[in-house]
Amino acid sequence: MPKLLRLNDDANGATNGATNGTPPQLEPAGQWTAESGMGVELSVDQEIEERFLAAPQIGIEFPAFNDGRGLSQAVLLRSRHGYQGDLVATGAVQPDILHYMRRCGFTAAVLPGGDVPDPQTLAPYSDYYQACAIEPEPGRFRIERGPSNIPT
Amino acid sequence: MYRYDTFDQQFVDERVAHFRSQTERYLAGELSDDEFLQLRLRNGLYIQRLAPMLRVAVPYGTLSSRQLRMLAHIARHYDRGYGHLSTRQNMQFNWPELAEVPDILADLATVQMHAIQTSGNCIRNVTADEFSGVAADEAVDPRPYCELIRQWSTSHPEFDWLPRKFKIAISGAEDDRAAVNVHDIGLLVRRRSGETVFDVLAGGGLGRTPVIGSLIREALPVRHLLTYLEAMMRVYNRYGRRDNKYKARIKILVRAMTAEGFKARVDEEWSHLKGSPSTLTDEQVAGMEAHFRPPAYVERPGAAAALAADRLKDADFARWVRHNVSPHKQAGYAIATLSTKETGTPPGDVSDRQMEAVADWAEAYGFGEIRISHQQNFVLPDVGQDQLYALWQAAQGERLAAPNRGLATDIICCPGGDYCSLANAKSIPVAEAIQAQLEDYDYLHDLGELDINISGCMNACGHHHVGHIGILGVDKKGREYYQVSIGGHAGNDASVGQIIGPSFFRDDVPRVIRRIFDVYLAERVENESFLHCVRRIGVEPFKVEVYAKAA
Repeated sequence: MPKLLRLNDDANGATNGATNGTPPQLEPAGQWTAESGMGVELSVDQEIEERFLAAPQIGIEFPAFNDGRGLSQAVLLRSRHGYQGDLVATGAVQPDILHYMRRCGFTAAVLPGGDVPDPQTLAPYSDYYQACAIEPEPGRFRIERGPSNIPT
Repeated sequence: MYRYDTFDQQFVDERVAHFRSQTERYLAGELSDDEFLQLRLRNGLYIQRLAPMLRVAVPYGTLSSRQLRMLAHIARHYDRGYGHLSTRQNMQFNWPELAEVPDILADLATVQMHAIQTSGNCIRNVTADEFSGVAADEAVDPRPYCELIRQWSTSHPEFDWLPRKFKIAISGAEDDRAAVNVHDIGLLVRRRSGETVFDVLAGGGLGRTPVIGSLIREALPVRHLLTYLEAMMRVYNRYGRRDNKYKARIKILVRAMTAEGFKARVDEEWSHLKGSPSTLTDEQVAGMEAHFRPPAYVERPGAAAALAADRLKDADFARWVRHNVSPHKQAGYAIATLSTKETGTPPGDVSDRQMEAVADWAEAYGFGEIRISHQQNFVLPDVGQDQLYALWQAAQGERLAAPNRGLATDIICCPGGDYCSLANAKSIPVAEAIQAQLEDYDYLHDLGELDINISGCMNACGHHHVGHIGILGVDKKGREYYQVSIGGHAGNDASVGQIIGPSFFRDDVPRVIRRIFDVYLAERVENESFLHCVRRIGVEPFKVEVYAKAA
């Protein structure tokens, strides 16, 4: 049974890694209208249109787990278009990609198998070098960095 | 050189733990072969013909003595006592056990090393001029910008799942030793009116479709380096082909869009990113540059005179100096190339003992720093001119003193069918057979500058397209054949070689190469290099000679 996994800490107390309800109903972009009140699902080669921003959820369907196009779409939706709603990864969602998805602005993912990944897989690193959709200041210059005590 | 701070160390430590858990999940059957494949590739681990192969990152080819000793330890403890210097300045181990790889990565992390993104469809180790920071002909040291790119590209949230692998090279010298023209992105760093700027090339590459990169932006100020890269990577990530792996590199996209079209698309994307928080400040750039300040050079009065006397005294030493020693920025110092191309040794293969010897010499005759060149040789960047003789004597004892840098025996060669599961044909025995007929130094020297590059398949790890003579292993109905091209070049005026005609059996290759030499020696005008001769007279005279007599 597919499960909806939260990737963010939302206002309702859900946290990264919590499973929270059932996957949203999404209409493919070709059929979707803003009037429907439903979420829209984009294929990874879909150009982003302003009208999608009215959707309460936007799903991005990964055709294969190693196809990174959906990551760029998510970044554009968040950083360029200021989309505030739920951004949901669908399709070939693989647990080891979730930490990338989260940083690109996804707030949830539909796990096809329903097995909830372990905390290390969800958040393997304390911090990162670069800026990302949820952290616009690059870590490289944000993090307090002291000299390493390990000799070279 | 760059030293890790607390954050860098924490990141590589967490990466080791992360990969250890992924390996355990795989061994427990929780990850499929295909899933684990993608994850292990991003940690440098291939499964090869005979065993796994681990590619360790040597960022822009720079190592400390301590790091090289750790590589020697890994060779001895986890492998069969040797490693292989790759054409991307990395070190490969051919025989590790899969279950031990997390331990190897943990050992590497103790000396600030890793294998992150040395394979897979992601941004690979950034390569640079092996003489960075020390070359007499250098305008700007590229290493600080290499390190900025290394950090920026490490586990990038958006660009770790690209259509295909992605290689960036930087050169800051007059003579391009980093082959920037044949990289996905090539950067030429320059100082113009007191400002550090980059000329940006895109869409170059070797492989199945060799292409010389197109200049898509001139004089990009350093503060915009990362945002401009972000724009290029986003255009590639979104629009690069994913339906056919042979058409997935950025060169195919640039060609399809045209260089102008690609540039327009990148500029449009960049217009949104320019000035964003990833823009570098002067302090950030200066902070990174400070990691690469010159070491504590001393005055070496009499060093040049001592070197001159040593050369007069010993003709063999003089010969080595002539080919393997390059001019240094600093008076009294020199750059020494330790060739791995002794006949009978696979090009680029180095033993644990050799690694330890090189690590010791780097401390005795320098500041404990070593470089790896894309020609698969070791380089000691800071040798006192008066120390060269002692270094050369020591290097002879370890078979690292072949006086052949840039000559026809300094062959670039991939591991080929002896190791690599992608190869169509063996490459190491071909290199050895060519070297064996060039034992006469006077003849070798008379041939002059001559790059022979050998790849065992179209993936072109041996850079055959840009060899003055390129040799490519091909498979025809289960038999190994070799296609020969001439006139390629990887430097400033880069060119792709032209195939001279139908391919040959392996046993014929040395004779074919010999005939190519014959034509050159007969046709050249005074002081004309092989490359210039081919460019002047064309492929035809070579073709006529090779095929007339081979028939």
